[in-house]
Amino acid sequence: MADFIQLLMNGLALGSVYALAAIGFVIVYSATGVVNFAAGQFVMLGTFAGVATLVNGGWSLPAGYLGALAAMALFGALFYAVVYLPLRNSPAVTMIIGTVAIGITLQNAALLGFGSWPFRLVSPFEGMTVDIAGAVVPVHAIAVVVTTAVLIGLLWLLFNRTTLGIAMRAVAQDLVAARLMGLKVGALLAFTWILAAVLAGVAGLMLGPMWFADVNMGDPIALKAFAATIIGGFGSLPGAIAGGLFVGLTEVLGAAYVSSAYKDLIAFGAMILFLLLRPQGVFGERIQDRG
Amino acid sequence: MRSLLGVAALLIVGLALSLIVSEYTLRLLNLAVVAAVAVVGLNFAFGYAGLISLGHAAFVGLGAYVLAILTTKLGWSPWLAAVPAVIGTGLAAAVLGYPLLRLKGHYLALATLGLNVSFGIVATNWIDLTGGTNGIANIPGLTIAGHELSGERPFLWFGLAVLAALALIAAVIHRSRYGRAMMAVRDDETAAAMTGINVTRMRVAAFTLSALYAAVAGCLFATHIHFISPDDFSYAHSITHLAMLIVGGEATIAGAILGAVLLTFLPEWLRVLGDAYLAFFGLMTLAILIFLPTGIVGLATRWVRRPAPPQADAAIGAEEASRP
Amino acid sequence: MRLTRRTLLSLAAATTALSMAVPLRAADAPIVVGATVPTTGPLSLTGKQYFNTLTMAAEDINAAGGINGRPLKLAIEDAGASNSTAVSAFVKLIQDTKPPFAFITSYSTQNLAVAPEVAKAAIPVMYAGGADAVAEGGNSWMFRIRPADSVTARAMVQFLKAKLRAAKPGIVYIQNDFGQGGAQVAAKQLEALGVPVVGTEAYGQNDKDFSAQLLSLRAKGADVILAFVYPADGALLLRQAKMLGLKMPILSSSAAFVPAAMQLLSPGDLDNVWGVVDAFVDPSAGERMKDFATRYKTKFGTDADPYGLAYYDGAMLMADGMRKVGTHPKALRDWLAAVKGWDGVGHVYSFDGKGNGVTDVAVVKAKPGTKTLELLERVKLD
Repeated sequence: MADFIQLLMNGLALGSVYALAAIGFVIVYSATGVVNFAAGQFVMLGTFAGVATLVNGGWSLPAGYLGALAAMALFGALFYAVVYLPLRNSPAVTMIIGTVAIGITLQNAALLGFGSWPFRLVSPFEGMTVDIAGAVVPVHAIAVVVTTAVLIGLLWLLFNRTTLGIAMRAVAQDLVAARLMGLKVGALLAFTWILAAVLAGVAGLMLGPMWFADVNMGDPIALKAFAATIIGGFGSLPGAIAGGLFVGLTEVLGAAYVSSAYKDLIAFGAMILFLLLRPQGVFGERIQDRG
Repeated sequence: MRSLLGVAALLIVGLALSLIVSEYTLRLLNLAVVAAVAVVGLNFAFGYAGLISLGHAAFVGLGAYVLAILTTKLGWSPWLAAVPAVIGTGLAAAVLGYPLLRLKGHYLALATLGLNVSFGIVATNWIDLTGGTNGIANIPGLTIAGHELSGERPFLWFGLAVLAALALIAAVIHRSRYGRAMMAVRDDETAAAMTGINVTRMRVAAFTLSALYAAVAGCLFATHIHFISPDDFSYAHSITHLAMLIVGGEATIAGAILGAVLLTFLPEWLRVLGDAYLAFFGLMTLAILIFLPTGIVGLATRWVRRPAPPQADAAIGAEEASRP
Repeated sequence: MRLTRRTLLSLAAATTALSMAVPLRAADAPIVVGATVPTTGPLSLTGKQYFNTLTMAAEDINAAGGINGRPLKLAIEDAGASNSTAVSAFVKLIQDTKPPFAFITSYSTQNLAVAPEVAKAAIPVMYAGGADAVAEGGNSWMFRIRPADSVTARAMVQFLKAKLRAAKPGIVYIQNDFGQGGAQVAAKQLEALGVPVVGTEAYGQNDKDFSAQLLSLRAKGADVILAFVYPADGALLLRQAKMLGLKMPILSSSAAFVPAAMQLLSPGDLDNVWGVVDAFVDPSAGERMKDFATRYKTKFGTDADPYGLAYYDGAMLMADGMRKVGTHPKALRDWLAAVKGWDGVGHVYSFDGKGNGVTDVAVVKAKPGTKTLELLERVKLD
């Protein structure tokens, strides 16, 4: 039983990271219709922004976190201007290839800048653990779960209670109508990319101390985030969370109780099953709405 | 007639190159030819039927693995082994296609991506059959009338012949009733259904055709390199195949071939840039997508036809397609 | 037009004259040796090590007068993270520089993919991929400068039985050519020794959570865990084992002890952990090792690892051969195949009929409460 609780907690912590990566992906998709294949590289950059400020720069924790997130915001704006704007009228598949291409550039630029050695970010809760019913849980993992929950609350407030968020949703629903209503569509789309980059930054900073950071960590995260998104529902924030947790839990529990060699087949098999039986996912939009 | 000319041009250019270029370039040409076979196949699924498949490499891999297993474990001749490899892959695509192809757009893209990842997991862990991550080595090469296609040059000649034949078949299908039906399904599903086209069957047919070509590419790959492992068929290769098609100019056979050649050679040419070469490769691919939205073929057509009227309708159509 | 042709003709004549002049100057022309090294992608972590040591070896060789007066030059191409890139890199090297000798990567699948091209090029190469399948391929041009995976696995099993007195061993391995091969050999050996494994668990190359695998082994009653790992995941696995409160000893393969992995660990993570490493790269391991390790650290700012050392030794061995029999590939191959008891920095190299040069490994353990490794014993297998 203690083992089961331990696995459950580890699965939840892992799932929270996937969920955070998936949220950044979903926000971009709902607002711009872009399937961002560089989403994993966004998270990787977030971690390395932290490496730059905290490890290489030697800044204090709050300053380092803020500096890294500011850098990510800048990166989001840059991505909007250099990748999204020129390609925004291209077919969906061109956008997919475009984000893959820029992902290759980001990964190799990080390799040039930081080298191939793995880094370890220090956690604010370094070495602290708590005992939950016989399971040893690092405080950092709990912090990850809590931060994810708080961020989701804030996002909900943004999209439902602020003019900015409601305007963003208007753009997501009908761009032409939003423009006719006098909304600054360009600025709102730019803000969407900035928000996604900052969220990826948070994910990157939080997973840095749990895992080790290396410049090749992006793609595996993106794959799991894709699976999470499909399972939860393509355009849905609650879906991204449910999907992320589901993928994290299947990974850990599947390895424990089914087969450690085939555990990823369970997550991706579930993803394909969902696509076939319930393509809108758990919480998702109706599939007919999008192509 | 135009396609005959195109194939003739391909053969002449290929043969001429095969006589003058170095061994290293010959090898890259061979890689490009193998990729081109796969991408001409992908053109059925994406270019004609509009199915975004990110699982093409899995079908290349399936073909390659069947051939490798039959030749190395059962001692079959690669010619004989290629038959079940290609037919089996086609069947697998048809069986998978029926449920999968109800999905569209991003959903299909991610489902096929999942399929590709799953293929990799099985190939990695079914050690008795696939050799696991160590892969399968010592795959025999092809022989023609007692002559082994061991060097890069003879292999290129053979590869070119296969590519030319398959490109010709693709061109014939493109112009046939079936080709038109596939494109009708791509352009307007409802209208196509109303004219009596069986939409699902057309999709599955396009998907299966693309898998058949992929399996041929897989057989060529295995007999060229003589070694396969799961890494050779990862989803990254599927994305590369799609990129080749887009960069070359989608929905055209010439574009598929040109794209395969360009994206095979581009990273190798960029090697002179040293450690930064892959970073540049990504940027250059992005630049091609931005500045040549219709690919290399589009550029060539524009060149020939000179001032084309601004395609306002097409641009609006594209915007709508990419918008939610 | 006629002028052009005349120019061309004279150009051709000049080229012929030039090419005829080259052999005369060959006595001091550099000897170009090829190397394919992963400098991009995930494999570059280890690739960087031998990129460095090969450069260092070339400098050392040239400082000692080169190869009988001729300087040595390295031509290095990126082997990337895929088999195809590795083969392209090798073919390009052969094409561009026609080297009499080359180094290829430390990844078995790349080695297997490149093997047919090596046979075609007919030059001797040294490689550091561990999989036994590479040597079993019967390619007589290929020489392995690291212990084969089965050697490591057998040494681990011996130590496990004799010193750790395991009765119910469990295995955890990374799902790649190295981990799969090592786990298979170890399971078979343990079976033969009468201590069958109680559980075998796998994890993916990119996995970050090993709780399921470790807890499952504990639940099955494993009294020792054998771990076949790569650097970063190996470090993470050791950390999580401690966090989960696993009490049994862990015997890990080489990669968890390379500097890139060690810098990620705390002393406590190494408690009750033993390592079977290719070679003990530490200043305390003798004068020559001290010289190598300190010079590496000064030059590149990080500690050297056994992979880097393997290529350094390999380069020195190659230079020795070239001094003795020249740069003709066949002669060099024959000389290498006959090498017995060549004393390198890391090992004493003797090539067997399949081109395996190293049959000894070292068992290490951190001094209690520190991350300083000490050598427990060397295990020599036949």
